[in-house]
Amino acid sequence: METGIRSDRVRIDYNDKIVRQFCVATLIWGVVGMLVGVLIATQLAFWQLNFGTSWATFGRLRPLHTNAVIFAFVGNMMFAGVYYSTQRLVKARLASDFLSTIHFWGWQLIIVAAAITLPLGLTRGKEYAELIWPINIAVALIWVVFGVNFFGTLRRRQEQTLYVAIWFYIATIITVAVLYIVNHLQIPTSWTHAYPIFGGIQDALVQWWYGHNAVAFFLTTPMLGIMYYFVPKAAGRPVYSYRLSIVHFWSIVFLYIWAGPHHLLNTALPNWLQSLGMIFSLMLWAPSWGGMLNGLLTLRGVWNRVRTEPVLQFFAAAITFYGMATFEGPLLSIKSVNALSHYTDWTIGHVHSAALGWNGFLTAGMVYWLVPRLWKRELHSPAAAQMHFWLGMVGILLYVAAMWVSGITQGLMLSATKEGGSVLANPNFLDAVTSTRWLMHLRATGGFLYLCGFLLMGWNVFRTAYGAEVRDSYIEVVPTKSAERALGLCLGLFNAPVLYSLGLIIFALGWGTLDGLPSGLCLWGMIATVMGAFLHQELTGGRWSDWYDRLLANALPFSVLTTIAVLIGGVSQILPTILMSKERITEGAGQEPYSPLQLYGRDLYVKEGCYNCHSQMIRTLAGDVLRYGPYSKAGESVYDHPFQWGSKRTGPDLARVGSKYPNVWHYHHMRDPRQISPGSTMPSYAWLLTERSEFEVLPARIGVQRRLGVPYEASSDASIIADAQKEAEAIAADLAVTGAPVAADRQIVALIAYLQRLGKVTAHPVVAVAEAIKSEGGDGVKAASVEASKVETYVP
Amino acid sequence: MSNQESRKTEVTHAVEPLRAHDFDGIQEFDNPMPNWWLALLIASIVFAFGYWAVMHRYVEESDPGKVLTAKMERASQEAARRAGVLSNPILWTMSRDATVVKAGKEVYLASCAPCHLPDLAGAIGPNLKDEIWIHGSQPLDILKVITEGVAVKGMPTWGPVLGRQKISEVAAFILSFHQPPATP
Repeated sequence: METGIRSDRVRIDYNDKIVRQFCVATLIWGVVGMLVGVLIATQLAFWQLNFGTSWATFGRLRPLHTNAVIFAFVGNMMFAGVYYSTQRLVKARLASDFLSTIHFWGWQLIIVAAAITLPLGLTRGKEYAELIWPINIAVALIWVVFGVNFFGTLRRRQEQTLYVAIWFYIATIITVAVLYIVNHLQIPTSWTHAYPIFGGIQDALVQWWYGHNAVAFFLTTPMLGIMYYFVPKAAGRPVYSYRLSIVHFWSIVFLYIWAGPHHLLNTALPNWLQSLGMIFSLMLWAPSWGGMLNGLLTLRGVWNRVRTEPVLQFFAAAITFYGMATFEGPLLSIKSVNALSHYTDWTIGHVHSAALGWNGFLTAGMVYWLVPRLWKRELHSPAAAQMHFWLGMVGILLYVAAMWVSGITQGLMLSATKEGGSVLANPNFLDAVTSTRWLMHLRATGGFLYLCGFLLMGWNVFRTAYGAEVRDSYIEVVPTKSAERALGLCLGLFNAPVLYSLGLIIFALGWGTLDGLPSGLCLWGMIATVMGAFLHQELTGGRWSDWYDRLLANALPFSVLTTIAVLIGGVSQILPTILMSKERITEGAGQEPYSPLQLYGRDLYVKEGCYNCHSQMIRTLAGDVLRYGPYSKAGESVYDHPFQWGSKRTGPDLARVGSKYPNVWHYHHMRDPRQISPGSTMPSYAWLLTERSEFEVLPARIGVQRRLGVPYEASSDASIIADAQKEAEAIAADLAVTGAPVAADRQIVALIAYLQRLGKVTAHPVVAVAEAIKSEGGDGVKAASVEASKVETYVP
Repeated sequence: MSNQESRKTEVTHAVEPLRAHDFDGIQEFDNPMPNWWLALLIASIVFAFGYWAVMHRYVEESDPGKVLTAKMERASQEAARRAGVLSNPILWTMSRDATVVKAGKEVYLASCAPCHLPDLAGAIGPNLKDEIWIHGSQPLDILKVITEGVAVKGMPTWGPVLGRQKISEVAAFILSFHQPPATP
């Protein structure tokens, strides 16, 4: 009261300290994430940069890069933007300083934990969900803290009506929580290891439902919210269209969640799910462009300023990149385009045009706008900010152009056939690697330029903020009570527009899934609902917009409706797949559980991050089948926890690599890939020849696998370990005979056991070998190993 | 100039309905959605229903895997029909043709040398220069081993990967290190 506020007013002090903290964290983790990105991009051109150590290989550092950029860099930026704008949009200080502090430091601790565990090879083996289970719990808890803090702030708001930015924040908080929890359901086998509860095709579907919507609800919806606050603020112009906001918000929230299966096109995923992934991605084009239009058209009247002001430059470019990326996304989701683009650098280029262009430039615009307001000082050097813009722009264009050329080259070379489609045009996979190597140089250069620009921003912010006297902003408002606008949960949920929409969705689902008469009835139901809605709207004189205006003053019903819109897609896709019996999935092409040694080898495969460069999924495409063998069936990976279908082929597919080469081939190839495959960019895995396998962990792991429904026969701990040792000795004996002596308890032996199993039905190919060792001694081994590998290869 | 600008702003304001409420100074126009944008949205929804109707409702569903298998079978039958029949004498003749041997050498170095070594001395795979043949010494036997592979020994199946022409060339290259039997 000392400032002499009028008695009918209250003063609201904003918590700007937390925004400053998150801003600084954004800059620090941005540098770390991009630095690792430049390093691993360079590794693809120069394999020597894997440094021959386990923790610096591409397979372990790539998850560090993706997690750092998504959750550390964009995450911190999102929290800064959300906390700054929400306080002002709803006219209330953040609910709790304590929760804000917990949120900030908790999130930074999680990032540090990730940066330590991932290089150590502690991973779940699922993309963008690699962090181990104790960290998963911490993430979930901190997210709840964020949610409580955010919704608590809404509760205290002096501004009743929720602005469009807040809609997007609500959708983000709810959906990320749902996605994260479902995709991280797992049963631990130790403090650092767990198996996900879903396996094979179910795990694939859940993973990409999560993976795709991490893009949607972590990298897109909060950014749109931030755009809706910061762009009109910076431009000083009204938002282009409120109606467009409504339509594109609800269509994005409802449609996005369905599009996950577009990451699994032409795979063993059931065709109906692939089709859903494709058509929903196409339907997302317009809603995404709605966001772009509202952003760009808000800049009408200030385009002259875009020429000179870095903040508006960054925003205009970011929104343009958003438009480009959301056009490219639906394009790549078309099955036939995806046949070319999937597993190539085109996808990587696509995500980087979005991450660097949309997320990165939006961050820059936001930070340059915020810093003078948070530290109450002019930006140290606007010229440096302009320099940052052009460095970043050239960097992105170099990067993305290189990846387009590289991706399309890879796709064309690897799928090309000749002699009427009966023979591969480029039989050697390495030809595609060597042809695109110069583009890897270009890509690393582009990334490096982008990083330089970002470092320039870090310096600029530091010079601006260093030594500044900070004080938080405040406003004075007349307290409002608008009980007359209260809607209540019942009225919020049960009213004409909601019921018509729900009816339409239910009838559409019925038409799409039911057979015969019920399907036909649902078609008529759809038509009737649409006509009824039009009539109703006409008769009532368009009062539905009044209802929506009232809904916006009611946070709870709004949040519930958002949740329903988000859940429909996920439930419709995932439930049928989860409820499907294992027999139905396998359709006669079932998998037998891995032997203990093979399972241990598989866990090593996951630990080393092999899935970052190798797929295990032969698609229903001629090029794939000619190169790798009969196409993969869903049943063949039904007991794979986690699934390892992969998303990129920097190296060849491994789904049927089992017994393609002798054991000793793998031994030499892992020790020095270039000895076997000249020109390969694969890191050397020499430490696998010396590191010991710890079979003691196997009983616990097999116990968990059994709980997950993998049909292991009950056996004692000792016999599991003995079984693994017996199989390892047989392989070691075979390696010794062929000139590669190695102790049976080395990791390479377990990994070879796993690789030789891939694509085969039976679990124990070497039991016969072990028997032979016992009965005949060394000489019989070779003959027996020949006999043993005569196991049936799967033929569709 | 500034006069013109301010007039322009006024005109825009007169045409575009501005919503009364503001949020922290941010206002919103109540402009209609652009027609082309609405058309795009509706067209993509119509396409989605149409695609589903055709692929999963009213036309018998085709299994992508089976379609592919049938297509590939046709292709390989066609290729087999067009290719001539190879025989032992033909392969021996090819092995004395410098162009064929040169082509075969390229394939050999790219695909076979990692295991059989560039000089055919053998390492992971057996020696191909000596006179010991594990799976038959006739040119057609060699052709068969390359085409079908020897799964139990870790010899990959090269048939679909390299194709008939390249396999015959690489067989000719290997045979060029050997002498044809004296003609009877």
